[in-house]
Amino acid sequence: MKPDSVVIKPIPSRFKHQVPKYKVTRSDACINCGMCAKSCPYGVHERIEGHNKMRPPIDYKCIGYECRKNDEFYCVYRCPRKALSLSLNPMYDALGDCRWTSDMIVATWIMAETGYPPERTDLGYNLGNSGGGFDKLRLKFPENPAKVNREEISTAIRLNRRADGRADVVISTPVYGGGMSFGSVSLATMLSKARNAKIWNTFTCTGEGGYPEMLYPYDDHVITQVATGLFGVREETIQRVKIVEFKYAQGAKPGLGGHLLGTKNTESVARMREAVQGTPLFSPFPFHSVYSIEDHKKHIDWIKQMNPKALVSVKVSTPNDVDMVAVGSYYAGAHIIHIDGGYGGTGAAPDIAKKNIAMPIEYAIPKVHNFLRDEGARDVVTLIASGGIRTAHDLVKAICLGADGAVIGTAEMVALECVRCGNCESGRGCARGIASTDSELADLFNDDWATQRLTNLYHAWNYQLVDILQRMGMKSVTELVGRTDLLEHVDYS
Amino acid sequence: MPKKYHIEINPTPLDLKLVAKFKITRGENCINCGKCTKVCIYEAHKRSEADIRKIAEPYMVACKNCFRCIQECPRGALVKSLDPEFQALGGPYWKPDMFLSIWKQAEDGKVPVSGAGYRGPFTGPGFDGMWTDMSEIVRPTRDGIHGREYISTAVELGRKLNHLEFDASGALVSKVFDVVNVPIPIILDIPSSELITPNIKQAIVAAAKKIDSFVILPAENITDDVQKNMQHIIPLMSAEQVLFHAELIRHARVIAIDYSDALLKNFCSIRESVRNLSPALVIVRIPASSGIEERVVELVRAGVEIVQIAADYCGMEVPGGRYIKDVIRAVHLRLVDERVRDEISIIASGGIAMAEHVPKACICGADLTAVGLPLLIALGALVYQEPEKKIVMPEGIDTVPVAIARQRIVNLMGAWHSQILEMMGAMGIREARRLRGETGRAIFFDEIDKDIFGKLFQNQEAASV
Ligand code: SF4
Ligand code: SF4
Ligand code: SF4
Ligand code: SF4
Repeated sequence: MKPDSVVIKPIPSRFKHQVPKYKVTRSDACINCGMCAKSCPYGVHERIEGHNKMRPPIDYKCIGYECRKNDEFYCVYRCPRKALSLSLNPMYDALGDCRWTSDMIVATWIMAETGYPPERTDLGYNLGNSGGGFDKLRLKFPENPAKVNREEISTAIRLNRRADGRADVVISTPVYGGGMSFGSVSLATMLSKARNAKIWNTFTCTGEGGYPEMLYPYDDHVITQVATGLFGVREETIQRVKIVEFKYAQGAKPGLGGHLLGTKNTESVARMREAVQGTPLFSPFPFHSVYSIEDHKKHIDWIKQMNPKALVSVKVSTPNDVDMVAVGSYYAGAHIIHIDGGYGGTGAAPDIAKKNIAMPIEYAIPKVHNFLRDEGARDVVTLIASGGIRTAHDLVKAICLGADGAVIGTAEMVALECVRCGNCESGRGCARGIASTDSELADLFNDDWATQRLTNLYHAWNYQLVDILQRMGMKSVTELVGRTDLLEHVDYS
Repeated sequence: MPKKYHIEINPTPLDLKLVAKFKITRGENCINCGKCTKVCIYEAHKRSEADIRKIAEPYMVACKNCFRCIQECPRGALVKSLDPEFQALGGPYWKPDMFLSIWKQAEDGKVPVSGAGYRGPFTGPGFDGMWTDMSEIVRPTRDGIHGREYISTAVELGRKLNHLEFDASGALVSKVFDVVNVPIPIILDIPSSELITPNIKQAIVAAAKKIDSFVILPAENITDDVQKNMQHIIPLMSAEQVLFHAELIRHARVIAIDYSDALLKNFCSIRESVRNLSPALVIVRIPASSGIEERVVELVRAGVEIVQIAADYCGMEVPGGRYIKDVIRAVHLRLVDERVRDEISIIASGGIAMAEHVPKACICGADLTAVGLPLLIALGALVYQEPEKKIVMPEGIDTVPVAIARQRIVNLMGAWHSQILEMMGAMGIREARRLRGETGRAIFFDEIDKDIFGKLFQNQEAASV
């Protein structure tokens, strides 16, 4: 269920036009009678009195083939000259890719706009087209589920399962926002993520690169990151928060260090990172002081000493021995094991790394879940998955495979109208102002707009999650964890 | 520390007509308001120089698909689509996006980087069916960004000893074989002279020299203008032509001979006649076809020291239908079983299209790779798989200055070298020689999918009954 702080309000796109799925073509047979303009209730056709030609159809408003059933207004049938035809718009193919299909992007935009899953039935948004992993898994619903009301269903999860006297942190929906550092996204993006985290009683993460003052009001919903470069890590910031995350690696560039170009190390970035302006900044891989699980424990102890209340999350990518690393992290004292698969990632990363290094998250989740269970440790740690969780269905599948919850990044960007063009780091940065600190581009939207978009997206996901739990006959999302029997794989059935 | 191997890159645009991924057409209802010229930060839209009241045709090579012009044009006058010319490029193996990536690397020599996650399929045939592993905790190579300096991509061509033998007085009695060092596990491979204009040939040879590697060229195509770089040329000939090409062999460090039954039968005497001319090492180039494991074992027994296993341009075995990745794996394992793996170096070629294919081929059992088509693509070549193989060199290619063509190939190899370093760094492997057959540092789709999803979902119905 959503916390009371969540208020759903429709919040429209920033752009005049949407990307159309259909194309309405008007042939020369048109006699400018205006019949279509009168029939279509969606405003696709426009006739201006005194003009001798109809305006070109506004394609993106058209609902497409499902309109055929609307005898009373389907323009293709109503046109007396049969001048109109309907087809798929080639523009749609230019949007998206096989992981994030155009339907998925458009559906995410609709969710961010309305707060609910799309009403239209022509968008296949729960599955991508990648031909593997989540895209080959299907949910299996029981025929006679126990009857539960939506109001009875809890989507909350506990993050501290160690009973060690540290904060008992509960988040209201099993999702939180991934780390995006100061300097890599615009201030409005960063701030809106934090505001939404507070509204949803969940978290956002600073990423590597310091803890900007504007996040202070959201301290209880911010995870501060300690990454290998230790940029901006200070006792004071560690003491501010409820969760501190050790980033060993990130899925999109496992085994690779980070590198902030000198030109991007602007005055404000340098101040935040406590570095010299204009010098390139390297985050090495991995922690130079960690050669063993014992060294790892030393780091965790160090954090625990500095902040006696905070939970410790350990973020790792997904090599073959990820299960061992996870168990090691548990023994070293981590509360949360966060595994990050390679196919996700929001920041700029070498293509070669994203595609080729380490295993997809879909394999890593059951591997870690089972190993922790066999070690008797599964009930005392929280397992969070990320790196390729695109939709509410991916989230549910990840939980069925063994995760407690998920971290999302790209989906949040898409809610802010990212088109996944991938140019976040080139030249002036994101042309759409999401991942840019360029003074002009970063002003393309404000944090009020962005916060509501994120809140709506989280709501749409939560709404779908509750739907699924209801169809499963479950009262809590925690009942779903590790239920691989509720999944089937198209290759193995 | 020995001098570090370094490939010098240098931005080198090529002034030829490039294929763009997208097409934008401006409808008649455009009112020339200029909004699109303002919102496109990549300057794809500009006012026409001839008539500034009008907007020029969009320059689509610059378009990065941000959709802003489409969404912000007040009239909705702009229509975008995938360019059919782009979609027709390549085919199932040579995916159109590979061309963009190779062109970009040839231009700037940099590792391709993008944001917002991976965009491709989950898995695929051939090299797309494997991932390389990495490790979370420090390994000796892992000294962060500075560690790269300590990673060596050098490999050796030639036979290695299984062990050394000494006599009672401690003197070495084993004969140590000659080997040739290549500082990067890549040699260039132009086995046919078709399409290669003299300037391109000179550029490729110069590039091979610049990166201190080799290029395989047909012996009859080694004209006077490139002979001064014989140290970096591997002349390719048939067994019968060895004496005919005596002069080339005298100046070469390595030569290549096409496989034939006659070669196998008379290898000893052919090798002897080469040895009489020069100490050059001999590669036997054999097409990947079914049963190749057997033939390679025979070659080793006959005393062959280097074999080049050449798949077709899409990395396929013909006939046979295995991908080069699987062919190499099978050959490697077979040689290990026969306990002769160290007696021969394996060069994998055919379908090596991206940097990642190099370490992957090595993990599958190759010592190094040979690269052909990407060199031509770097110079603007268009490749079509359908309806049949066709390579189109760009118009005007014969007048491209050698220095420019050379630098583009060097840039591509520089970008690949950096990417190989990234992968090796992540794997925690400090020497490319140790990549060979290191399947423990890889994750194979077939294996992991069965191991994890197969166990969870196979016969799930049966189990629950
Ligand atoms: S098909 Fe339906 S929605 Fe589309 S333009 Fe015609 S009447 Fe309007
Ligand atoms: S640059 Fe493109 S991919 Fe990156 S955030 Fe902006 S719209 Fe998204
Ligand atoms: S924004 Fe649209 S109407 Fe204005 S000049 Fe560009 S294409 Fe024409
Ligand atoms: S889609 Fe973006 S990059 Fe391409 S032409 Fe339009 S504004 Fe420019």
